[in-house]
Amino acid sequence: MQDFLAYTVLGICLGSVYAIAATGLVVTYSTSGVFNVAHGAVATISALVYWQLRQGWHLSTPLAIVLTICVFAPAVGIFLELVVMRGLRDTSEVTRLVIPIAVLLAINGLATWVWFRDGSRAIVPKKFFGEQHLQVLGQAVYYHQVIGVGLAMATAGGLYVLLYRSRLGVTMRATVDDRRLLMLNGGRPDRASLGSWAIGAGLAGLAGVLLAPQQGALQIFALTLLVFDAYPAAVGGRLRSVPITFVGAMVLGLTRQYFDWVSHAGQSWLALRNLRNAIPAILLFAALLFLPQGRLRGAVVARTRERFTVPTMKQAVAWGGVLIAAMAMLQALMKGAAVISLANGMALSLMALSLVLLTGYAGEINLAVYTFAGVALIVAWQLDVGPTGLATRASLSVTAILAAMLVCAVVGGLIALPALRLRGLYLGLATFAFGTIVYQLVILQTKPLRGSIFGHQFTINLFTTGSLTVPRPHWFGIDFRDQRAFLMLMTVMFVLIGLALVGIRRSAYGRMIIAMKDSPAACATLGLNIMRLKLGVFMLSSALAGLGGLMWAAQQRTLANNNNFDGFASLLLFMIAVVGGIGYISGALLAGIFLSVLSVVMPNIFIKLGSDYPSLHWFFVTGIGNFTKFVGPALIGIRLGKNPSGIAQQVMDGFRPLKRVPLGTAAWASSIVVLWFLSWRGAIGHWTFALVVIGSVFIVPRVLMGMFPERFEDVANAGQEDPDLIGLARPFQRHDRDRFDRELALPGHDRSRSDATS
Amino acid sequence: MPLLECQHLNVAFGGAKALNNVDVTADSGAITGLIGPNGAGKTTLFNCVTGLLHPSSGVVVLDGRDITRLPPFKRSRLGIARTFQRLELFSSLTVRDNIRVAGEIASRWQRPRVDPRRETERVLDLLALGHLADRDVTEIPTGMARRVEVGRALMTRPKILLLDEPASGQDEAETEEFGDLLLQLCADGIAILLVEHDVSLVMKVCSYVHVLDFGSTIARGTPNEIQANPVVLDAYLGADQEP
Repeated sequence: MQDFLAYTVLGICLGSVYAIAATGLVVTYSTSGVFNVAHGAVATISALVYWQLRQGWHLSTPLAIVLTICVFAPAVGIFLELVVMRGLRDTSEVTRLVIPIAVLLAINGLATWVWFRDGSRAIVPKKFFGEQHLQVLGQAVYYHQVIGVGLAMATAGGLYVLLYRSRLGVTMRATVDDRRLLMLNGGRPDRASLGSWAIGAGLAGLAGVLLAPQQGALQIFALTLLVFDAYPAAVGGRLRSVPITFVGAMVLGLTRQYFDWVSHAGQSWLALRNLRNAIPAILLFAALLFLPQGRLRGAVVARTRERFTVPTMKQAVAWGGVLIAAMAMLQALMKGAAVISLANGMALSLMALSLVLLTGYAGEINLAVYTFAGVALIVAWQLDVGPTGLATRASLSVTAILAAMLVCAVVGGLIALPALRLRGLYLGLATFAFGTIVYQLVILQTKPLRGSIFGHQFTINLFTTGSLTVPRPHWFGIDFRDQRAFLMLMTVMFVLIGLALVGIRRSAYGRMIIAMKDSPAACATLGLNIMRLKLGVFMLSSALAGLGGLMWAAQQRTLANNNNFDGFASLLLFMIAVVGGIGYISGALLAGIFLSVLSVVMPNIFIKLGSDYPSLHWFFVTGIGNFTKFVGPALIGIRLGKNPSGIAQQVMDGFRPLKRVPLGTAAWASSIVVLWFLSWRGAIGHWTFALVVIGSVFIVPRVLMGMFPERFEDVANAGQEDPDLIGLARPFQRHDRDRFDRELALPGHDRSRSDATS
Repeated sequence: MPLLECQHLNVAFGGAKALNNVDVTADSGAITGLIGPNGAGKTTLFNCVTGLLHPSSGVVVLDGRDITRLPPFKRSRLGIARTFQRLELFSSLTVRDNIRVAGEIASRWQRPRVDPRRETERVLDLLALGHLADRDVTEIPTGMARRVEVGRALMTRPKILLLDEPASGQDEAETEEFGDLLLQLCADGIAILLVEHDVSLVMKVCSYVHVLDFGSTIARGTPNEIQANPVVLDAYLGADQEP
């Protein structure tokens, strides 16, 4: 009984920190409508800043706390709201989820760059009052923990009063419900948003400072994940109720501590020792499944800014051919290491294709793509390697691939079935929870699963030795162990799957998927069984993720169980796929290439520059190189708010007008081919070829537009402001009246001109 | 026997009663009006009939069958189609594809099967939307967008059509033309339940009218009876106003 009470005390202490983290999330969501996935990252960087102030620069504890919790963290919140989140108005739920993911990765990348750029470093935050503690029922309870409990209660009480009993709180909540109506009633939504982001970030900072000492040596992503653990409490409160969130946080803290008590910190059941880490994800999944959800939701026409055009099959086939030809030409010029980077990118593009179907077409979210890669890997490994742990096949078999896709489809279906009634953010969180559960309980599992069915013994090897090796295919007499051949195989697979997806999008089935995304309510009233359609799409997408994942694994050859399966890699891939253009096949291609280029190629270029110019080593390697590696992808993600349809759309918009000058465009394409031939034959250098081609991409369209201005008149006028928004987005001005007069050919235009001339 | 019967429907949102013991019927081959001030519960009633909302008590009967607990897609397959007060078009699709996809959905369960492509062209002609067929649905005027919703509903070949303010956004001539279309559909045997603020349209096309106010039925009768009903005048104009 005493043990029970002691663990209860510890559970309350842990729950208190979760409560602070979770209520911060609730404040941000209920007052801005954005689920701040970056909450954990704000907590982490705040913990690092506190460590820097207190232990690095030896400021007093109160001063360090005030500077961190009351100045730095709120400033981060205000900065995010001003610079990033305001761009999310009128964007889809996917975009509103992706931007905070980008912010998370940017902040964590920045923290890595500042504090850990030289690799491992021991940063060990201390508790308030060090190791001083009370004895409660024979259990040591640190003053640090007691302070946490006190702060949690004060936070919950204070927030309740703020949100439900104060004028500012009403204004904050009204900001989410109807921003314009609030403005018409004299409210100041921008100021209210700033306040809510400052408070939310301040609470994240406080949670980070309280949680960091529990880790021992601070690890950035591990601390961020600790804050993720508070999600079930926030979701339990439906992201709106502070009191229920507080209770949920306590339940969460108590559950983890009771598990430690019963399992002796996981040592009693070795096969389930990671269950402790999976408990928050399991509770999150359960909370999402059992909480009542809103009824079928519709969508108001023209609500979002995302727009995706659909290519014809002819165009898709033509572009597929261009891609295969371009890849063949490009790899012929590349050295081995560059081909590997390109192949890595193509493998990631294959994985991203699954998101085009699921997110781009159907509007659903999967934040666990790498989990399906892991599942596919395990399945293929059973079939192609066997239980002895020794490779018995030299080739990845078609049977193994089909089996892996089938199992992924079934697993995807099993996950989707209970989660089907969820949409958007909630479905995303459910898949993220699923990914975490699989990571902790399956992928990190090193004990083989043994059992028997009808007397037949079987063994399923998971990551028994901590890593798995997958052979590459050897099909049609071609040995794809050769990197260049494997790159071309993946390119052809990408094109074929891409064509199939375009075919789906243009079919009746595709139109139904799009209709479901645009208005589930209207679809249901037309007789469409939405649950069945959603299930089918989720299963197909899971199978594609498995296929892509298997190719990615075969590209890597050997994969460790801690390689990309912990959830962050899935977040990154999802983010980059949306940034690339989630509704386009070319968006998936760009996503894979970006990831590879930004995380490997660019840093390698700067390392090379650093070694060539030793006096500028710090600038090239530590400065630009690491910054590009750690923060680059996230910064691209943050820009998404400006162009929610993605980079592929921007590129297409930029080049589409060139169809009006077919001869000029053909001449440009032909000269690229000629230059490639010269480079291939060694007449000009590869870098020269690359620089000329890249330069021409920027220069040639402008030159053509300059030569034929009459054909591009509409393009030149395209940058003008949407007239519907003038007067709403900013005050109506004199030059606006002149513009309207001019465009509508009203007499006022001539009058103003004649006034000016007279 | 009426095609659609709503019996003693009750819906509450928190403490507010959106529908209070409401009875509404609609007959095949007739247009039934459902009018009332904003917030009277008209759209809530539509949501109950189509299954987007479950009443706390009361039943919805279609063609003699209790459909109160059926999900929306099954009700649609029994012959209920609707339009929405706040437009629910498929904003990523063109006008033509908005209508066509409805036919493609219907062709999965409807027998005899009709070629969705051919039926789409027929409906586009019927609603005079041919000139807008290839336009993005977000680019067309509201009045035309409401016609697209009607066309989409017609693609399911419904027994009853629930129209929620279909004339809003249409000018006088278009409304006149639209009224004729409704009468033509009605002559083909379809039951129509019409929510509309344009009283002249209601009076022109409806054979029977129910009037809701604050979730309760305050009057029912023929258009002429409704026009002369003092309770209805009070609800619309206020008790202290001179008629």
